[in-house]
Amino acid sequence: MKNELILDKNNLSYWLRQIRKNRELIGPLMNDGNDIVFKSVDRIHELVLDCPASLPSPKEFIFPQYEPMLRMRQASNVKRQEITDLSDETKRVIFGVRSCDISALGLLDKFYLEGHKDPYYAERRRNTLFISIVCNDPAPTCFCIGLGTGPYLEKGFDIQITDLGDRYFVQIGSPEGAKTVKAMSFLFRRPQKTDYEDQYEVFLSSKARFHKRINLKGIRQMILEEKVKDDFWQWVAGRCFECGGCVYDCPLCTCFTVTDREYPYGIERIRLWDACMFKGFTRMAGGVLPNEAMVKRTKRWYYHKLIHYPEKLGGFGCVGCGRCTITCPGKIDMASIATKLKGLAISEEEK
Amino acid sequence: MKNNLKNNKTNANIYIPLNGKIEEITQLTGDVRLFKIKTETPVDYVPGQFFMLSVWGAGEVPISAASLPKENGTIELCIRKTGVVTSAIHSLETGQPIGLRGPYGNGFPRDISTGRDVVIVAGGIGIAPLRPLIQHFINKPEDAGKVTLLYGSRTPDEIIFRDEVEEWKESGIAVALTVDKGNDNWKGNIGLVTGLWPEVQTNFKKAAAYICGPEVMIKAAMRDLFFLGMPDERIITTLEAHMKCGVGKCGHCYIGPQYICTDGPVFSYKKIKERSILM
Repeated sequence: MKNELILDKNNLSYWLRQIRKNRELIGPLMNDGNDIVFKSVDRIHELVLDCPASLPSPKEFIFPQYEPMLRMRQASNVKRQEITDLSDETKRVIFGVRSCDISALGLLDKFYLEGHKDPYYAERRRNTLFISIVCNDPAPTCFCIGLGTGPYLEKGFDIQITDLGDRYFVQIGSPEGAKTVKAMSFLFRRPQKTDYEDQYEVFLSSKARFHKRINLKGIRQMILEEKVKDDFWQWVAGRCFECGGCVYDCPLCTCFTVTDREYPYGIERIRLWDACMFKGFTRMAGGVLPNEAMVKRTKRWYYHKLIHYPEKLGGFGCVGCGRCTITCPGKIDMASIATKLKGLAISEEEK
Repeated sequence: MKNNLKNNKTNANIYIPLNGKIEEITQLTGDVRLFKIKTETPVDYVPGQFFMLSVWGAGEVPISAASLPKENGTIELCIRKTGVVTSAIHSLETGQPIGLRGPYGNGFPRDISTGRDVVIVAGGIGIAPLRPLIQHFINKPEDAGKVTLLYGSRTPDEIIFRDEVEEWKESGIAVALTVDKGNDNWKGNIGLVTGLWPEVQTNFKKAAAYICGPEVMIKAAMRDLFFLGMPDERIITTLEAHMKCGVGKCGHCYIGPQYICTDGPVFSYKKIKERSILM
């Protein structure tokens, strides 16, 4: 079977209904507050596909904010502890994910699966299929184009679709993706010359629509050459509200805390998202706070994303999704910091 | 289908603690106890590695092994009652179950001490991860030259393993103790452990050092030894941090580009300087 196909828009709903028979269907929906969020799709016609990336990233479905890990039941014999693994085995398909979030997955896989393999992430990842959609109209906050993580992908996806007006250009990128398409091959047809040309046009016009051109490589170089002074980080820290929004919305932030909760049926060990922006994040027994100074925390986040992520995982800890730009009340998000530093570098040169 | 998935589980779950049983509890000082824990299957590890101890309902805490691995599968862990989990551990009694995961971390490098004099610098509970190292040098004197232990405590009553220190002396380890605040019976040194360098009969330039204690002490001791001429790759310390997973995922112990749990907890002064850890 060819890896490139055409799906008539009339057939999308039918295709998704068929997929939903075997998997939980997750897609971008509008909530009461007019935010786009990924949720379990009850009514396929309510999917919102002509919008930019959802505000919370779909990492929620492979690394959820709240995840039960283990349950311990104390048997009547006091010495016996019965432990159950609570890892989630639900089969899911996430439809309408953006390229930036798929790119983030590549790095998350390296982080969670290499070395000590995280069983909860591994289990969810193994059971989740992603159908990503090319961004025809990127939002003003998006800057994936400067990072090569969007608006469309060459590889790394399961299934990628491009909106060509009345039809979708469908690309298959993984064996699991191929299986899903093959099961309903009668819905698809082979692309013709005009389909390729239309897809090319969409790619070009999408690229031309980006408002932001951000060069993280340049910023990384500035930091490595120690051109970014401490007073700059002090300024950043002074504007941080310690809300943790950047961390929670970032598709590449991976930190969690673990806590035990007691229920009538036993004790559950759960994990929750945590944020390095919080003072208590590094608190040790006895109350020592290694990162009490705000500047240490904001600097740590930027160093992690710009310096250490590329060293350890081979890519920036940022895919240019722009969520921190939308969330940050202090305007010290990745894009703003990069723009500010570039400005400083230019004014330095002019001196 | 559900069953089928169960069998296909991607991997063994690294977060499930092994079943352990508390065999013996020894009160060492006011708030420090030594727990002898027996696991179902013997666990192999090297000095400097740590375990995530788990008490259901309280949580998990990283604790360094305080003894060499034993054939009967018991592990000794020296724990001070400080936080939520360590308090829960202190409330346990002999015979009760306790979970543990590990060993994690890199452990002390073995090769650097061969044929060299060794200086071991401990502060307070920092003696715990160094104890298996001392035991190792006693069991295998050929692995090092002369071994000197410099050990600082807050008060004479807070000297952990005080009786054992006497045994170590008899086994050929040179020991110098100091306390921050003496009492009527104390006739020894008073002051910082870094004031004990004159007690060490060695050429620092050719020796190796292992350090563990409070962060301020570690920093001061490493710097002093460096200025005394010891090469920075032979100044070894073990660090601690808040940890939730022990396997490099939770992010709490991330310092510089290093995770204390997987890249450490043992670091050389060279690495600490290169990687801006502890600055």
